[in-house]
Amino acid sequence: MQVWTKLFAKSPFKPLIKHADVVLETVETLEKALRAWYDGNYDEMKRLALEVDRLEDVADRIKEEIRDSLSSKLMMAVSREDVLIYLHMQDKVADAAEDTAKWLLVKRPDGIPDGIKGIILQMGTESIKAAKLVYDAIVQMDRVIESGFAEGEIEREYSLIRQIESVENEIDGLDTKLMQLVFENADELNWAEGFYILNIARTLSNISDKAKDSAERIRLMMNK
Amino acid sequence: MVIFVDAWLLITIILGFAMAWAIGANDAANSMSTAVGAKAITPKQAVLIAGVLEFTGAYFFGKSVTETIRKGILYPDKITDPQVLIYGSVAALLAATLWLIIATKFGLPVSTTHSIIGGIAGYGIVYAGMSVVNWGKMTQVVLSWILSPIIGAIMAYLVFKALTRSIFRSSNPVRSARLWSPFWIGLAFVVIGTMFYIKVLHGKDLKTGVLMYGIPVGFVVFLVTYSLIRLRFPSSDPFIGVESIFRKVQVITSGYVALAHGANDVANAIGPVAAVYAVASMGMAGMKVPVPRWILALGGLGIAVGVATYGYRVMETVGKKITELTNTRGFTIDFSAATVVLVASWLGLPISTTHTVVGAVIGIGLARGVKAINTDIVRDIVISWFVTVPVAGVISAALFKFLMFVG
Repeated sequence: MQVWTKLFAKSPFKPLIKHADVVLETVETLEKALRAWYDGNYDEMKRLALEVDRLEDVADRIKEEIRDSLSSKLMMAVSREDVLIYLHMQDKVADAAEDTAKWLLVKRPDGIPDGIKGIILQMGTESIKAAKLVYDAIVQMDRVIESGFAEGEIEREYSLIRQIESVENEIDGLDTKLMQLVFENADELNWAEGFYILNIARTLSNISDKAKDSAERIRLMMNK
Repeated sequence: MVIFVDAWLLITIILGFAMAWAIGANDAANSMSTAVGAKAITPKQAVLIAGVLEFTGAYFFGKSVTETIRKGILYPDKITDPQVLIYGSVAALLAATLWLIIATKFGLPVSTTHSIIGGIAGYGIVYAGMSVVNWGKMTQVVLSWILSPIIGAIMAYLVFKALTRSIFRSSNPVRSARLWSPFWIGLAFVVIGTMFYIKVLHGKDLKTGVLMYGIPVGFVVFLVTYSLIRLRFPSSDPFIGVESIFRKVQVITSGYVALAHGANDVANAIGPVAAVYAVASMGMAGMKVPVPRWILALGGLGIAVGVATYGYRVMETVGKKITELTNTRGFTIDFSAATVVLVASWLGLPISTTHTVVGAVIGIGLARGVKAINTDIVRDIVISWFVTVPVAGVISAALFKFLMFVG
């Protein structure tokens, strides 16, 4: 038994990045599913949406593993609480993607006007863009620590965080536009279709919401 | 009497060698772990570097004069019987060796200095009661439990901050690393050069040492390293580039640690040998006795053999298991610990290499340089520090009683 080998504990960042990697794969798959949905390729969409569901499970398992391994006896470069909350938020990104996938699976998107479908696709792309940036942000956080909190690296991290946060505004704009379109087309849609559309939009914007929460936690990590 | 003393001198020499062996086995791993763990050197290279430089440090920079009673931990005027000094030295050496072997077995980085001091206090108390111990000195030693890691931590904290400021905060980290890493190595050699003047050439004037030996040596080393590092380090990622430069640099700093360790810790093994040798050659000889070169060589050799035979295995385990240490961090720990130990040993402060290294690790942790340190393990290490003196003392006391009874 060598104490030296245990003095340095495993960095929580490698598994955090691994988790982020799975979350990234989840949202990328959702993006493909959304495109298939837009193109009316229902079978392909179904396959991809089920894949999103599976990937979310993988992310969950990694999350549990990290939680179990993060003993309170660790002296870390960032606070344990921040790491745990960040992990929780990052996992919520995948959860939100799974929610969207579930709604996509509810019915065939026949009879939805192309204009509405277009905006939903746009919302999805934007929202998922924020989720993808979360991956970059946590990789960058690792570099911030590696550099001994060098200003240049911190600045790069802040710029990523700002990008994630700016997505939020775009989504808000698109959301308003979508609402207007839905009500303008109210006569052509039945209530179930309206419910379906608004829920897809809501779950999609939830992805960027959680991405923003994750980014905020990284901001706190840097301040400790 | 003469034959009696000669026989015991032989026994003491053997035990001194055994103690040196245990120091090599336990400590070399402690001082080389960071370099092996950061993959700067392989365990085989670590053995080679540690073996050669521990010996060099011990032989050239080891104390040429030692107290009859290590660190003056007992009042020498209360021990007038040479037989007591001989039996006591044997008991203390054997106890310290045993404790070091036990600690090594459990992988605990304990201080060799504290082991031998515990051993000496142990026989002293059995022989003449509590009053024989110089408690003022003892307090100093106990303070070093606290001081060594704190100084190590502060030094590593500052070095790490300076290092990141000079390298990672620049717009071109690789270029800065090429300039600054030779600077740090040069700085190490300023210390080594000054030590050479004081220890080997027996210079007295510190200023002369620094100006005539330290700075020129450091400057030459700076130029040589600088031109070597200018050679290609192909990497598009500046971080990987910086680490690959420091991987090379760490080969040198790990040698620096070995040198400092040899210089500082060899006295723990050969101090008692020198004391017995003095008794054998000139009878009871006051508080300070000279240490003949061959005894220093014996200690250095013992440490080198300890590294090669047992330290090797330890370092192999360490090399496989530490995966979270980058070269810039490993370098900071090595550089800080070695500098603190060398400077302190020359100021005569009772400092422990092991404690300083562990302190340096904590220092980097405090500077937010290491992603995770197990505080549980830190606690275990600190506990092992607290038991070292008493345990070595009790073992030594028992051995001493036995020797007095038999002899």
